[in-house]
Order: sequence, then structure tokens, then C-alpha cells
Amino acid sequence: MTSPRWRATGAALFVLGAACTPDAADAGGEEIERLYNTFSVIAAAIFSITAGLILWSILRYRRRRGDEALPTQTHSNVGLEVVWFAIPQVIVVGLFVLSVTTLGAFDRRSPAADDDGDDTLVLQAQGFQWGWRFTYVESGVEVVGTAREDPEIVLPVGVTIAFDLVSNDVIHSFYVPRFLLKRDVVPGLDNRVEVTIEEPGTYDGKCAEFCGLLHAEMNFSIRAVAADEFEAWLNERQLEMESGVPTRD
Amino acid sequence: MTEAVAPSASHRGGVVDWVTTTDHKKIGVLYMATAMAFFVVSGVLALLMRLELAQPGLQVMSEQRYNELFTMHGTGMMFFFATPMVIGLANYFTPLHLGAPDVAFPRVNALGFWMSLLGALTAFAGFLTATGAAAFGWTGYPPLSNATYSPGTGADLWIVGLLLSGTAAILGAVNLVATLFGLRAPGMTMFRLSIFNWNILVTSALIMFSFPALTAALAMLFVDRNFGGTFFDASQGGDPILFQHLFWFFGHPEVYIVILPFFGVVTEIIPVFARKPIFGYKGFVLATLLIGAYSFSVWAHHMFATGAVNSPFFAATSMLIAVPTGIKFFNWIATMWRGKISFQSPMLFCMGFLFMFLIGGVTGIFLASPPIDFAAHDTYYVVAHFHYTLVGGTVFAVFAALYFWLPKIMGRMLDERLAKLHFWLMLIGFNLTFLVQFQLGLDGMQRRIADYPSVYGGENLLSSIGAGILALSIAVFVVNFWRARRKGPPAGDDPWNGYTLEWWTTSPPPHHNFTSLPPIRSERPVFDARHGTSSTEDREG
Repeated sequence: MTSPRWRATGAALFVLGAACTPDAADAGGEEIERLYNTFSVIAAAIFSITAGLILWSILRYRRRRGDEALPTQTHSNVGLEVVWFAIPQVIVVGLFVLSVTTLGAFDRRSPAADDDGDDTLVLQAQGFQWGWRFTYVESGVEVVGTAREDPEIVLPVGVTIAFDLVSNDVIHSFYVPRFLLKRDVVPGLDNRVEVTIEEPGTYDGKCAEFCGLLHAEMNFSIRAVAADEFEAWLNERQLEMESGVPTRD
Repeated sequence: MTEAVAPSASHRGGVVDWVTTTDHKKIGVLYMATAMAFFVVSGVLALLMRLELAQPGLQVMSEQRYNELFTMHGTGMMFFFATPMVIGLANYFTPLHLGAPDVAFPRVNALGFWMSLLGALTAFAGFLTATGAAAFGWTGYPPLSNATYSPGTGADLWIVGLLLSGTAAILGAVNLVATLFGLRAPGMTMFRLSIFNWNILVTSALIMFSFPALTAALAMLFVDRNFGGTFFDASQGGDPILFQHLFWFFGHPEVYIVILPFFGVVTEIIPVFARKPIFGYKGFVLATLLIGAYSFSVWAHHMFATGAVNSPFFAATSMLIAVPTGIKFFNWIATMWRGKISFQSPMLFCMGFLFMFLIGGVTGIFLASPPIDFAAHDTYYVVAHFHYTLVGGTVFAVFAALYFWLPKIMGRMLDERLAKLHFWLMLIGFNLTFLVQFQLGLDGMQRRIADYPSVYGGENLLSSIGAGILALSIAVFVVNFWRARRKGPPAGDDPWNGYTLEWWTTSPPPHHNFTSLPPIRSERPVFDARHGTSSTEDREG
């Protein structure tokens, strides 16, 4: 009962603002995490003030037993109403600017497919019922997994990685919770997401858009390693492909 | 006022009477009874889902069955509970609040109800087919919902059922608009309408402009499935994203369709129990109109993750729509401020509504921000958010409305102790079910899965226990209702010292509603008649 998860849940039960994102493992995710935390502070303030006023009214203005006299019949106060129209308006404009700024940072990091930097590692990620096929575009290395057996791809840390998202059947969604990111994989639509993984580790990936019977089993995992380790892995896989004989497992 | 009639007088008559009736009150009761029946049915589907989700792994059902359950749970709650409940309440109380004898087109009204019932039964008939009910989610996105990936008859029954009930909703809305403009009693100017009726007016407009988009989308899907259409087939030049645009152009106004009338309900109940007038009547009206207008410009916030929409525009509109909702909260608080509030069951459920909808609204702001939505979209965070608005908001307010108005409809009071038990069980059960789901979603548990990694086990078990408590609370209500129907104490004309015209007539009201009307000089004519005048003119001074 004392694991971090339980403490987070316990806190969430009592204070709305206490629900928190997982620790972001990629650069874009960190920006989303920061934005989420800013929103949480503002949301907690709005919630506390509004809920506090409701609670105060409930506790303070209860009718006493036998008190039949009418309270003062106040109908409106235009000045007050203008104020409480203006304040939320200013808050949402602020939240909008914060959101669009973060969004703009994403767009700058997601160049169109034709102007890849030389050092961008491009993968095609094809979602299908029910699994994923990852192709390292430059080397042609392919990793395929199904609902029964999740694929594991290996990626280098500190390098910009682009996923070109492709589907030929139904809509799927490429989702890695630790990157705080998902993007739909839509037939007929070229979608791309870019990530820069900052911490080595293993990260779960899922399909987030309901895609039929075994949607829940359409998972993959990402093992992020140092650049040289990644190169070694990629070379090994390339040799396997050329010889047609698996050298692992 | 007339002498109180026996509680069951206006409900006398057999099955033939109910089937052939064009009386707005009976049609209202038919709508509400049907809606509550589908609330229970769709709720049972949710309980079965929570039973499966109580532990990781599959214990109770197959994936296929689970997919049918969440599809029909969402469909049932949105189309066959919430929407008909709105039309039912409006049917019963819109004419009464206007001082009118019936709706403008009573026979269209009857047609609407029977079409909506037929639609609901058609969609649910999918469970009787060999391949089961529709299993692609209540949103029915193609290509998953096309003939290749969802070949069963259940999918076609789902489309036809929604087309029928959608058309019925449009008929109901047209009727209500005509009633609101055409059948107001002498003195009932637009700025003396009850806030409930203002909300029904805006809701009806939303139905009239949004449901046709759904009808178009479903008709195209039907053609794609059965007649070789390629509207949504990317390999043939069609576009699956088009369906999402059409669906959410309906779908987002739809969530206001099932919440605005309940903003109205709460705005009627709070002043009565605070013994004060509504604070900022015109502000309420303006806020309602703003929500109605904005609601047609926010739809693509459901589609940020497609990468195919203008995110900044839809983020801006989705955040702006929070402002008029915020205004309503401050007006509700100001209505209670320095009042003399009593907390009988209708008011208790309104307080539940205020707190729960506040959580739903605040978390909605997070989802309006595209970067945060990239993380939270299609996870349990979204499930938690919209259940706070639709259960915490709509369902709490439905029960506020029922405790407030069932005495008018049945002529008998419900038991307050059972009502309080219902309230506290529901509040605890609801929060236990859904609060943990915010954290589950952020941790990466996606929606619409029958099985999940065991790390999510703890929260899911809590959530399932909560769902059980929630179900128990509904059972308490059913018992209360059943007992009150037979032997509840007589309600009298006006058990709550109400403000609006339904409290001027008997409980239940006679066939044509009123034998006399008080002068109508403000939005609360019954209060004015009983406490000396407090006309609109006084207020302006």
C-alpha cells in the first residue's frame, strides 16, 4: 500500500490537482509534462475557490428551523457579473497562449518528411489488426509483432527519431505513455511524429484508437540504448536479414 | 386553483390509452419511463464491464462481448437515456412553465416518441443476432464500422436505430420550438420564460442543427456498408476523417443537448430552496445562448490526435466555451448567497451536481489543450472526464429533477430518508468509480480494452467496487419510487413553495393543465402571487 502508485492514487482521491503524468522520457513529453503541471496549479486554484464558495454557501446560509421570513430578494448586480465574466475570460486566454506555445515547439521539431536532418532516424510504423510492423527506412531492418507476441524495437537515445505512421486497414493510434504522446494511424493520411529519447530504458507502446477484437493486445515496446549499442544491434539485424538466419533467440 | 384530484386520475386508462395518447404529459411520462429503463439496461452493461475489469485478464466474457457492451453502453446512455430524458422532461414541463394546455403539435409529439422507442429497440436488437450487437464504439468510426471489418447485422441495426431515434429527436425539437414561440400564456414574454425553458429552446436549436449531420454520416455509412459506397474508403478516394468531422459536428453539440436542460433544472431548483430569485437572469440567458453558439465550433477537439485538424482554432473555441459555464457557476453561488437554504432531496442532488460538474468542467480545460490531449486522448482520463460531466452533471441533475417533479407527476411524495441514502451512496460510489480513472489514464491505460497490464489492477478494483456502490444507490431510488407510487403521502399542489406555473395547478395536472392562471409579471409568477408582486419592473429599478 505504500508504492508510489498507491500514494498517487490516494492523493488523487483527495486533491484533484494531485493526479500527475508519468515521468516524461522524451524531450517533447517533458514540455507536455510542464504544461500539464502549470494547468494543474491553475485548475487546483479555480477548483478550490469555486468549491470553497459553494461549500461556504451551503454551511453558512442554511435555513434555521422555524425561520419563515424571506431573505433579501437580490436579483442581479451587473458590475459583479461583468467581473466574473472577465476573469475566466482572461484565464482561458492565458491557458490558450501557453498551449499554443507548447504546440508551436512541437511543430518546429516536426519538419515535413522531405527536409529531414541528416541525423534523423526514420522508421515506418505500420499498424494493422492486430500488431505493428516497424521498418528502419535507411537500413531496411524490419521488426514485426502480433497480438500474441509484442515486437520490441531498439532506438538510440539523444537522436531525433521520426515515425511515419501508416495503416492499410482501420484507424489505429501510436501511443507511448512515457513520451506523453499519441498520434492516429489513419488509412490514406500521412502522419509523422518525432521524439528524442533522453533516458535509456524500456518503454511500453500501445494502440490507443479502438481497432477491433484484439485492440487491447496491440502492444509494442521500445528499448532505448546508447547510440553505439544501437548501431551494433542494427548491424546484427541487418546481417540476420541478409543471411536469412536469426542469430538471436 | 382546483380541488386536488386523486393522484392517479390523469393516468387512468388502459394500454390503448397510453398507446394512442397525444397528451404532452403522458408522452412526457412515456419518454421518461423509457429513458429510465434504458438507463438501467445501459447501466447493467457498464456493471458487466466493471466486473470484467475488476481484475487483469479475461474472466467473465470474451473480447467480442466486451466490445459489444461498451458500444451499446455508450449508445444506450447517449441516445436512449439522456436525449429522450431531455425530450421527456421538456414534454412534461415546457408547456406547464408556459401556462399552455399542450405542445404545438401533439400528434407529431406522439410520432416522435414511438419512433424513438422503435429506434432504441432496433439498435438493441443487435444482441439477438448471431453475430451480436454493434461492436465498434458509440462513435462508429469507419473503416472499422464498414462491411469489411464489421460485417454483422448488428451494425446495420445500430445505424437504423440511430437514424430513427435521431429523426425523432428532431421532431421533438421542432415541436418544442413551436411551442415556446407559439403557446406562451398572456404575459409570458421571452424574458419571463423559466430558465429551464430558455435552456430547452437553445437545446432544441442544437438538436435541429446537429442531428442532421449525424443523419448524413449514418446514411453514408449505410451506403458504404450495403451498396458499395466509398465515402469513407481511403483506397477509393474516400476519407475516414470526414466521418469524424460529421460525427463530432453532431457529437459535441450533443453533449450540450444532454447538459443544458439540466443546467436549466438546477437553475430552477436552487432559487426555490434558497428562497431567493435567480441571480442574474439575463446573464443566465446570455450564457446559455453563448454555449449554444460556441458548441458548434468546438467539435474537432475530439480529433486533435488525428493530426488532421487546425488545433489552435479548436483549442481556442474549446477553452472559450468554459467561460459561459463559469458564469453559471458564479450565478448559482450568488443565488445561494445570503439565502435561507433548505437541503431536501432535490437541492441535495443539485449540490452534488455543482461539485461533480465542476470537476468535469475543470478537467475539460486540460483536454482542450492540444499538447495535453496528445497524452490524455483515448485514455481513461477522458473516460473519467466525461463521466464527471455526464454522470456527475447530467445524472445527478436527472435525479434532482425527479425528486423535484415526481411529486407533481405522481401526486405523491418520495421518502426523504431513502432519498438521502440514495444521494450519499451515489456520491461515494460515483467518485470511487471515476476519480481513480484520471490517474489510470495519465499512467497510460487506454479506453475500450477488456484486459490490461496488472500494474493497473489496484485502481481498477477500486473503480469496480465503486460501480457496485453506484448501482446499489440506483436500486435505493427504484425502491423509493416504487413505494412512493403506491403509498407515498399526497404531495398537494405545491410541496416545495415553487416559483413556476406547474406549482399553480394540481398534482398531477388535469388534462389541459390549468383551470386558472395567476398574473404573469416575472419569471416566477407563482411566487409573485403568493408573496405580493415582485414584477420585472421592480427589478429594473
